[in-house]
Amino acid sequence: MRKQTFLLALTVLALLLSSNSSYSNEGILGGYLTTDNRLCLTGDNYFSWHEYRLALKIEVSSEDKGSFYSEIWLRSLGFPTVQNAADLVSLEKVSPINLDFREAYFDLYGFILDNLDLRIGRQRIAWGAADKLNPTDNLNPDDLEDIWGFGRHLASDGLKASYYLKDYTFHFIYIPIFTPTVFPGGTWASALSAPMELPVGLTLGDITDTIIMPENNLEESSIAGVKISKNLFGYDFSLSYVYGRDDLPLAKEVTFTPTGTPGEVDIASELIYPRMQIAGIDVAGAIANIGVWTEVAVFFPEKIMMTMDLSALGMGTQESIALDDKPYTKYVIGVDYTFKSGIYVNCQYLHGFIHEREEANLEDYFMFGIEKKFFNDKLKIIPISGGIEVKDFDDLENNYAYILSTEITYYPMDNADVTLGARWIDGKDTTYFGRVEDNDELYFKVKYNF
Amino acid sequence: MRQIMQQVQNLIMKISKEDIMIKVISYCLLSLMVFIPQGWAEDMVPTASKIIEEVDNVINAPKDQDLMIKLILIDKNGKENVREMNMLQKGSDKRMVKFLSPASYKGIAFLSLPDDVSYLYLPAFKKVRRIASHVKNTKFAGTDFTYEDMESKRFSEKYMPELLRMEKKEIEVEMQDGDNESNKKREIEFYIIKLIPQEGVRSDYSKLIMWVRADNFYPTRIEHYDKGEKLFKIVNRDKIEKCGEYWISRESEMEDLKAKHKTVMIIEDMKFDSNLPDSKFTERYLSR
Repeated sequence: MRKQTFLLALTVLALLLSSNSSYSNEGILGGYLTTDNRLCLTGDNYFSWHEYRLALKIEVSSEDKGSFYSEIWLRSLGFPTVQNAADLVSLEKVSPINLDFREAYFDLYGFILDNLDLRIGRQRIAWGAADKLNPTDNLNPDDLEDIWGFGRHLASDGLKASYYLKDYTFHFIYIPIFTPTVFPGGTWASALSAPMELPVGLTLGDITDTIIMPENNLEESSIAGVKISKNLFGYDFSLSYVYGRDDLPLAKEVTFTPTGTPGEVDIASELIYPRMQIAGIDVAGAIANIGVWTEVAVFFPEKIMMTMDLSALGMGTQESIALDDKPYTKYVIGVDYTFKSGIYVNCQYLHGFIHEREEANLEDYFMFGIEKKFFNDKLKIIPISGGIEVKDFDDLENNYAYILSTEITYYPMDNADVTLGARWIDGKDTTYFGRVEDNDELYFKVKYNF
Repeated sequence: MRQIMQQVQNLIMKISKEDIMIKVISYCLLSLMVFIPQGWAEDMVPTASKIIEEVDNVINAPKDQDLMIKLILIDKNGKENVREMNMLQKGSDKRMVKFLSPASYKGIAFLSLPDDVSYLYLPAFKKVRRIASHVKNTKFAGTDFTYEDMESKRFSEKYMPELLRMEKKEIEVEMQDGDNESNKKREIEFYIIKLIPQEGVRSDYSKLIMWVRADNFYPTRIEHYDKGEKLFKIVNRDKIEKCGEYWISRESEMEDLKAKHKTVMIIEDMKFDSNLPDSKFTERYLSR
């Protein structure tokens, strides 16, 4: 709380300082306010999401020498968590507030060399040519807090050097401290991991886990990346390499302990973040007037053995491969097109979702969206968008799920938009989306930029 | 004898000089009769290609331009929305546009380069994306200009011109030294040119009809026809002034007849020939 108060005070101070020059080119204060309410369409129609976000952005630019940028989110996120009278004295429980330090960095243009730009600080480094689903975007950890915010990542504290040589651009990134992924809450969290299979005759009691973070030193915690970009034959090409870590945890040790109930066991697991090297390529351009892109990432994981300690059950200790060191490939192929009538269509085929590892576990996803704007862009309608998940083409009947969504956005004035939408999920519980099929939602969002 | 010889020689020389003079004058007169009227005619009614080349030269005359532009979007009910942007142009084929306001558009940047290459930077995604040609017929930031309209390209490189006719029109002209308010309106001659996209050029327009001022080759009105040969957009350029050596329209309007919507573009500040470096017209600069 003390840290939050400090950050809040820092924010206010920054705002006060910037407000003196908010109309000059040197310091600009901006941001947005957004509200996001979601209502579950099944069961008791509970509110599944409640977020009021005030994003504050400060930009200071010194033309060709450098610039500063920061973004802070002050949020009312979630619902009151009071459980007894004593909780009523806690503002955090009555009205949960969340302060998120999204980005803060400064740029130095032409640092030492004319062609060298340096960006230092907390920054989002967005790699990849595909639309929101980017297998090559592996430097920043995924931010899965809101599962529908596809492509959202946390920023990382680090350094980015960009060197421009003729038509080539070279990016070098160093991130000293590893940051794990933020998980979604509720049923979505369990959906991200495969259901646990227990030995025959055993039932599950409590599950506890301990996460072992990489050691806080240069060798274990560091993440580095390099990317080379060039336009070739009218297409934008990039080659990339990341020496990083899987930002989703993996069980390395699982201990089974019997409870007082016959046949019931408690499970305690130890989770780690495996080392991962990723080589990527992305291409974007057009074929016969149609926008096309592809992105391929080859993952080279380290081999992780999992120890299952069943000794308390008299079954000794078993060892198996939790993650093999065989490379596996995730990729996206996408197209988009705007018809003369103004209808925009976007389709992507994705092999391997964010949380999937190893070739045998990679599923196929077909994502699509159609939109059209009306009344001089005052109204945007997305009649249908969504995705189809296929776990196994050979047994499609039992291995599919789909998400369908529809949305309407009205822009009553510059800087403001109001969105109403709904999404439906259905499918088999063998699939990722099928496991959360009860999460059909109606949502209402308002955004005002300033 | 010697004197007689000298007199004969002088006479011959005199005759020869007169003869040569006559021949030269005759040749000149003949040349004037044969060639000059044709040249005069050419000066009075240049070919369509020549006119469009002059148009390109006039509107792209500055080595570089740094313009602060206000865009007023007006809907059919007269409701207005304002956008502000900075436009940099170098020569006739490099253009950079950055939005300064409103907040929802701030930071969006567009770069047009030779060979039909254009890029868009969207700050929300922190990515520079190449604009595929199917996007070029879509509206640029909600204005009545499309991405195609915002590209920096010479008309002579994109279109085949044809001179349709000439006509005189009374228009408001820029004030000159010694002018007073009463003579601000003048009758000016215009070339009316039809422009059809050249073979291989992708355009959303089937043709343009352009009104070009004969006195300074500045295009004051451009009608845009869709693929069905139907008029759907008109650009009118007003407040045409000579700023230093260059002609510029301080105010222009793009009207979308189908949508009954128009965008007024007002140049609020301008700098010419400030030696903008090529580095300003790169992906590197686009995302700054």
